[in-house]
Amino acid sequence: MSASLELAERALRAAEADEALAVVQREVSGLARFAGSEVHQPTLIDNEVVELQIVRDGRLGLASGNRTDDEGLRELAARAAAAADNAPADPDFPGLAPAAEPPTVEGYDEETAGLEAEEQAHLAAAAIEASDLDLYGFFTSGLTEVALASTTGLSVSQPMTDAGVLALAAVDGASGYAEQTSWRVGEVDPAGAAREATAKAERTRGAKGLEPGSYAAVLEPYAFAELLLYFAYDAFSGLGLLEDRCYAAGRIGDKVFDKRFSLADDPLDPRGLPKAFDFEGTPKRRVDLVESGVLAGVLWDRRTARLAGDGRETTASAPQSRVRHWGPLPCCLSVEGGEAGSTDELAELVGDGIYVTRLHYLSVVNPRDGVITGMTRDGTFRIRHGRVAEPLVNLRFTVSVPELLAELHGLTREPVLVNESSFYDERYPSGMLAPSVATARFDVTGTGSGPGV
Amino acid sequence: MRELCEQAVAAALGAGASYADARVIVRRSQVVGTRNRRVERLDDVESEGIGVRVLVDGAWGFACDRRLDTAGAETAATKASAFARAAPGGHSRALAKLRPAQGEYRTALEKDPFAVSLADKIDLCLRAERALEHKDVTVATASVRAQREHRVFVSSDGVATDQELVECGGGIDAFATRDGITQIRSHPSAHGGSSAQAGWEYVESLELEREAPRVGEQAAALLHADLCPSQVTTVVIDAEQMELQVHESVGHPTELDRVYGTEAAYAGTSFLGPEDLGSLRYGSEHMNVTADSTTPGGLGTFGFDDEGVPARREPVVAEGVLRNFLTSRETAARIGSGAGGSMRADGWSRMPLVRMTNLHLEPGEGSLEELIAGVDDGVFLQTNKSWSIDDKRLNFQFGTQIAWEIKGGQLGRMLRDATYTGQTPEFWGSLDAVAGPEEWVLQGLTNCGKGQPGQHAHVSHGAAPARFRDVQVGFGS
Repeated sequence: MSASLELAERALRAAEADEALAVVQREVSGLARFAGSEVHQPTLIDNEVVELQIVRDGRLGLASGNRTDDEGLRELAARAAAAADNAPADPDFPGLAPAAEPPTVEGYDEETAGLEAEEQAHLAAAAIEASDLDLYGFFTSGLTEVALASTTGLSVSQPMTDAGVLALAAVDGASGYAEQTSWRVGEVDPAGAAREATAKAERTRGAKGLEPGSYAAVLEPYAFAELLLYFAYDAFSGLGLLEDRCYAAGRIGDKVFDKRFSLADDPLDPRGLPKAFDFEGTPKRRVDLVESGVLAGVLWDRRTARLAGDGRETTASAPQSRVRHWGPLPCCLSVEGGEAGSTDELAELVGDGIYVTRLHYLSVVNPRDGVITGMTRDGTFRIRHGRVAEPLVNLRFTVSVPELLAELHGLTREPVLVNESSFYDERYPSGMLAPSVATARFDVTGTGSGPGV
Repeated sequence: MRELCEQAVAAALGAGASYADARVIVRRSQVVGTRNRRVERLDDVESEGIGVRVLVDGAWGFACDRRLDTAGAETAATKASAFARAAPGGHSRALAKLRPAQGEYRTALEKDPFAVSLADKIDLCLRAERALEHKDVTVATASVRAQREHRVFVSSDGVATDQELVECGGGIDAFATRDGITQIRSHPSAHGGSSAQAGWEYVESLELEREAPRVGEQAAALLHADLCPSQVTTVVIDAEQMELQVHESVGHPTELDRVYGTEAAYAGTSFLGPEDLGSLRYGSEHMNVTADSTTPGGLGTFGFDDEGVPARREPVVAEGVLRNFLTSRETAARIGSGAGGSMRADGWSRMPLVRMTNLHLEPGEGSLEELIAGVDDGVFLQTNKSWSIDDKRLNFQFGTQIAWEIKGGQLGRMLRDATYTGQTPEFWGSLDAVAGPEEWVLQGLTNCGKGQPGQHAHVSHGAAPARFRDVQVGFGS
């Protein structure tokens, strides 16, 4: 039994409740952040948080803390009990998840787990040394362990590792971006990411403006994944569906996207950052959300599934309790690849349009219609005569994601794992498998600053 | 706790650091949230630990440990020093001078928010939520929150501080849905309501239950409102949206670490350069923006920042001209101006960054009605709904929950799905009036993101409604 699971069992024993669930989340990580080609904000974190969810007379209470000695756990149990005793009974409580054997998944690598601060710094240095331009970004690696124990007999844990490099090569008037993420540090090439970013940056000098309008576009995986994530949080939420306020409302079973577009939440895929169970303890499984353009379904946790009725079951999509009020969330989105061998082939399919590397500061303007605004950055180009041509300044876009997905010229064959974690709060690695995509419609509504720092 | 900090600093100096600081933080926070008459959140979270920051051969290092004992303090110090020593780059850093000092600070409050029972907090939320009821309101939510932080700081420069910061807040939202349209109204502000550094008396002052019927009715009425037309026109923007406008287009671009590029990879940089200090025309003569970490009730109020620099009030933009950046000791030394005072860390496990404290648009004169009376044809925009701004903080686009047509100096029909967009200096240059002190409102937000690993900052802004000419409303074309 892992130390985290032992801690969860200890916390469970400390609970004074009819039912209880203990969740432990441990993080040991290092992030060597650099700017102007020197490390300026290196952060080492070692923390373990234990959360106790309890039920007393049908009332629910939750408390968490990071004091793990016996006294700390007793106080934790007392705070959870106080919360429950102050709460009204919850008639919609679905009960705690039953004991179940989680699937065996990949996602843990001994070498990655064992990386020390000096090695993390050296891997950051490898990126910095490979760039002819000033480099901004980070190298990070971490070990995360999640363990759950409950009065229903649940006793599961999963250690997971992640490593990643983010490289922004930039000088005044030029910038390019690349990143790599994996649960195996051996698959992350900091120097390669830096070289990709540098090569991209060199092509962005002399960027020009662009008239607002609707353009065909090629989106690299970095851009496509971020746009889809913002869309998916709302569009594929069982809570949003129940409340009749998300894009999926009234559209399940309809063909709403191009037949080339298929999307799943697939925690079992070893190419991603696999997960064995959700934060209620339900074993993870693949959930198809869009099949050949048809909106196939949404995500559920135990509570929303109960509220939905009709025998609906959880899809094991319960996130951490601190964001549970957002409803069920995807953890491992995966877009099916297409037939194009490269982004150059996608540019040929587009003919005349724009090429987007990365997005910045997205915001949902209208969740019901999937309208999202944001900016492009660090590698925006014109596509002319089927080839990537002159650089453009950063573009403001305001797009309806369903319209963007309604007519696709193609997707690249091999999806790329794109990091989706900004490492706020406790570390929980997440990423999306996304290919590059060519769309017939990308609505540019303005221009902003040029590339570069 | 002070002794632990001193042990950590001593251990770091022993490991070769030329400068070290240590911060112990014990935080407790509660969130109560209800949704459609059910308790949705009832969280009671505690977190404690020590974070140690060091300079070794000019390189920063930071490490933390949740153990509040000698082993935790020394481990964090040793690891931070080792990480700094391994950090690549040609390091050369100076820190602005700081007089050795010891000090304490406590939030002034009347009612300890943790003395208010969870049952009373739940009851308040449920009552407010019930008051949102309307036949077209499909989702009603209410929430209240409270937080207490005990922060003890010691540095090798002879600074030792002990602070207890208490904050609380709340808000309500109504979602109305009909015929495929969904609209939202919130009070007192969007995105979880407003918070202040104060006691429970602040939550009571928000009058969630009293305001709820208006909020519910407006959410429902928006379902039948016309779409806000795209046009270039005069806009009057309410205090809450102005606060976000200040936050995004003045606060972040004047953070000097962004100006120097250290946030380039994530949050972005700034359209401002160091050479702009004292000369750049940021906006019209009506634009006066002040950074003030002494504001009563502000979420960015403290006795000392996370480098031990005392709280202060200073102009950032005066009569439209850039007068100061938000600085750390390092960036202040680099630009040769200022003394720091804006360094803040999100808890014990994060390195302090240059952050806004409380940043205010100073009031002008007159009432909101007088601002509107000065508009022949325009739009009044209220309460943020969406927000986006580019990496240098130039091109922005904001959406608001509700808008009103202005005709002949008077409010007319309600409009939905309004957005406005612009370029920062041009937009602020079109500012032609700010309402007076009687319209000035202080609100606090808790979701300002920055840094890698990510950090949330709690920031307050004060603003009064303001009027801008020739603004693009709608997405434009």
